[in-house]
Amino acid sequence: MSAIRLDQLGKRFGAFTALHAMDLSIADGEFMALLGPSGCGKSTTMNMIAGMERPSAGRILFGDRDMAGVAMGRRGVGFVFQNYAIFTHMTVRENLSYGLRMTGRPGSEVASRTAATAELLQLTPLLDRPSAGLSVNILQRVAIGRSAVMEPAIFLLDEPLSNVDAAFRAVMRTELKQLQRQFRQTMIYVTHDQLEAMTMADRIAVMDHGVLQQVGTPLDVYNNPANVFVARFIGAPGMNLLPGVPLDTGAGMAVDLGPLGRSPVLPPAQAAALRGAGGPVIYGFRPEQVALAAGGIALQTEVIERIGARTIVHFSGPVKVGPVKVGPVKVGPVKVDGVKAVFDNDLALSVGEVAHLAPHGGDVRLFDAATGRALGGH
Amino acid sequence: MAEIAFRNVSKRFGSTVAVDDASFTVGDNEFFCLFGPPLSGKTTILRLILGLEQPDEGEILIDGRRVNGISPAARNVAMVFQNLALFPHMTAAGNIRFPLIERGVAADVIAARLDDAAGKLHIGHILHKYPAHLSGGERQRVAIARALVRDPAAYLMDDPISALDARLREETRVELKRIQREAGRTLIYVTHDQEEAMSVADRMAILDHGAIRQIGAPREIYDRPATAYVARLLGAPMMNILAVEAVSAGAVTLDGALHPGATDIGLRPEDLRLTPWTGAGPVATVAEVEPLGGHTVVTVRAAGSILRALLRGQPAFRVDTPVLVSCAVARAHFFGPTGQALSFSGGTA
Repeated sequence: MSAIRLDQLGKRFGAFTALHAMDLSIADGEFMALLGPSGCGKSTTMNMIAGMERPSAGRILFGDRDMAGVAMGRRGVGFVFQNYAIFTHMTVRENLSYGLRMTGRPGSEVASRTAATAELLQLTPLLDRPSAGLSVNILQRVAIGRSAVMEPAIFLLDEPLSNVDAAFRAVMRTELKQLQRQFRQTMIYVTHDQLEAMTMADRIAVMDHGVLQQVGTPLDVYNNPANVFVARFIGAPGMNLLPGVPLDTGAGMAVDLGPLGRSPVLPPAQAAALRGAGGPVIYGFRPEQVALAAGGIALQTEVIERIGARTIVHFSGPVKVGPVKVGPVKVGPVKVDGVKAVFDNDLALSVGEVAHLAPHGGDVRLFDAATGRALGGH
Repeated sequence: MAEIAFRNVSKRFGSTVAVDDASFTVGDNEFFCLFGPPLSGKTTILRLILGLEQPDEGEILIDGRRVNGISPAARNVAMVFQNLALFPHMTAAGNIRFPLIERGVAADVIAARLDDAAGKLHIGHILHKYPAHLSGGERQRVAIARALVRDPAAYLMDDPISALDARLREETRVELKRIQREAGRTLIYVTHDQEEAMSVADRMAILDHGAIRQIGAPREIYDRPATAYVARLLGAPMMNILAVEAVSAGAVTLDGALHPGATDIGLRPEDLRLTPWTGAGPVATVAEVEPLGGHTVVTVRAAGSILRALLRGQPAFRVDTPVLVSCAVARAHFFGPTGQALSFSGGTA
């Protein structure tokens, strides 16, 4: 009943197409993230599911029921926005219980469900505090609680954590995941933060320019991005993408990277994909999947960020890729301001030093330079 | 050039102590970060340096000169505001010239300083554009150029990139570091994001309720936190801190003895090792697996404690399966009853 299906869903605002014919099935009880940069169409999609916007094309189905013409209030969805809307003249308890009281639930049920939700969101000690004067962090928690207490079968969240501070965001990620596990709502979570999508979602729908780019589990989209946009957007930092042309070295297939020399020789799966390429390619590798080794790509160390457990090294060499065409839209140009690599915190490398970067062969991903699409199956 | 020093500075607002006996020295050309949770006194310290607030006690020195009571205008420090506050009806060049025109600086001097700042910040090609037509990063550079042309001894930034989205923040912080390195000058920078602070700062001060708990290079503080409070502020996921009894109860296996006198033990998530467990006896259970792609965060429940491990790659741990948690004792942090660090050998695992 709480499965959701988007069938060729589209939205135009005048001449601007916010969403191109999108097909997506979300299973009952699934945690689906809609992920993409601002303007990618994720909020428009969410608003149509909620019933706040009317589709220009296609259908939205809850189970087998077409939602066309069903008012927002009758769709049985809970909604949490980026900018929480809390009644500041009410206490936390009054805010949490508001929806239940409005629907005329018996007092004992209101009390017990409010208490249970408060406990889950660690709001119990604050129940009788006035909402005015509470921190942004706590108010966002109250906003989530106020929707959760209604136990909606479908829960829609639009960037609920973008205004809270970094430390609290980490706590809330865990809590939201637990909340969803406990109630098994169908959850749709809109975010521009790939970390939130990776850590919470069962599957991620990556969007750009109103086009659904890829749907998959977090590890699917990380390991096998469908195109250069997904490759860049997933990961922190995103995948390194270097333009080049296939090269048969005699000792195996490699990519001629122009001014950066040639890549290390590729293992069989990547070599086969490269042989199938009709022309120029994009050589992709994750910053985490490299080693410093002789025979690697020679790059100059420009900036070293030592951030706790990880060290991010930025190498110089400005490279631009694209723009490339993915489906009906142009993506990019994908700006590559340099190659990045992530190491453990005991890395011995200093600024100015030349490093030889050898991507793990089996983790290299290749893309068609003309379309941006992934080449071959790896 | 400027060295900025606080000597035993306190500032109260009514009964609230906003800054509590703070002493520190920021060196010339240093990128110095004030880091702490909301309301820990970071912004008040900036306002004290600017001269928008006066200390109740202690001395503030800029290049050795006591500036208590001296007006903001006479201090020669420039603030780059959080929202960047560019005038929308002026071009980038107009915005950058504005503070100089206001001060009645001669036209040829203005032109020379604009040239110089535009060169340092690589914005010569966008000087004719209006803010609405600039990217976030370009606006950032223009706002910094506007602070630089005043030729301030130091410039201050209050959480300048917190409003940007995650990806842009990661790029902009590297850009800021590069700009500061190229443009020179002392920069005092406020942030509540630990990753950002560690990324940009040469040195940082960790604040808690207005008091400075530790000052040092980010790496130094991360490796040798002075207290359990500081230890938990840096690092994501945060350091696991357990009562020593949890260790003897089997939450984690160490390859050596506990520090005598320790009440709590701190273990960084990246220092924990997880091994599948098939034997008998008390073990830990996997509670949550969060794939980040390059790393995986595995949450385990063990002897009544929750521990987070940060593992490289994509190890195949499944929820509800038993595991053994271990850590090299050389990587453990030991804390006494008041939370102070007892010793940390800093050894490698």
